[in-house]
Amino acid sequence: MWQYEKKLQYPVKIKNPNPKYAKIIISQFGGPDGELAASMRYLSQRYSMPYAELKGLLTDIGTEELAHMEMISAMVQQLTRELDEKEIVASGFDTYFVDHTAGVYPVAASGVPFTAAYFSVKGDVLTDLHEDLAAEEKARTTYDNLLRLIDDPDIRDPLKFLREREIVHYQRFGEGLRLATDKLNAKNFYACNPSFDKGCGK
Amino acid sequence: MNTKSMLAHRIHAYDFAILELEIYLDTHKNDSKALMRRDAFIKERNALIKEYETRFGRFVVTKKDIGASNGWTWVNDPWPWEYKESEL
Repeated sequence: MWQYEKKLQYPVKIKNPNPKYAKIIISQFGGPDGELAASMRYLSQRYSMPYAELKGLLTDIGTEELAHMEMISAMVQQLTRELDEKEIVASGFDTYFVDHTAGVYPVAASGVPFTAAYFSVKGDVLTDLHEDLAAEEKARTTYDNLLRLIDDPDIRDPLKFLREREIVHYQRFGEGLRLATDKLNAKNFYACNPSFDKGCGK
Repeated sequence: MNTKSMLAHRIHAYDFAILELEIYLDTHKNDSKALMRRDAFIKERNALIKEYETRFGRFVVTKKDIGASNGWTWVNDPWPWEYKESEL
């Protein structure tokens, strides 16, 4: 189960609302490489992990991604405070506003709603870990792109924190992959699925 | 930033350092140096919470931090995504 901590993992305090920025940052909530997909990916993949360290790693990183989802949502909420109709139209936020007002709903920057098709659970430890490594890099690229487009330091600061976390998670998943391959018999490597086939790697 | 939010900020910084070590330990479970560092950070965090609580009252993170004597303050504003202008 989970226990909520009434705080953000890293502070988000944005002075100046900016619906244009909210519209692109929301992609890290409900977009293809966003925090919601990240969390659901890791927390779902845990059940077919044959090795204890990897169950722990996916639990802890999947949980941290929930905290990142909350930070992104806080950014979107703060960027869309006290808007008037003129600003909504001028910023291009109108296409989001018409369906969600100033509520926070998981969509990509393009407006496409969140779908579970953004992540996969293949039920094979090597396949799933490679997906996880790629996912962390894709999220890092997305943060890089947001940082290219945004100049407000109040927004850049938490975005840089989140970008850094993708790099750390990539590192940990790389170590996880190493742990998994160390447990496999070199001859059986990629020839059986340690999450399913009995005795694989033994 | 006033002393109260400065102290809270320092406690949260420890929370992050502890979490970072915990994720590291998932793939390095025999690293005794990291385990000891985590213990030290928890001790330092607890000392800061004690300091906070003698000066400003209960430091609430989870619901279990709230006792009957305080009333059900869990639902009180601000929630984590909210802040006051005075906090900036």
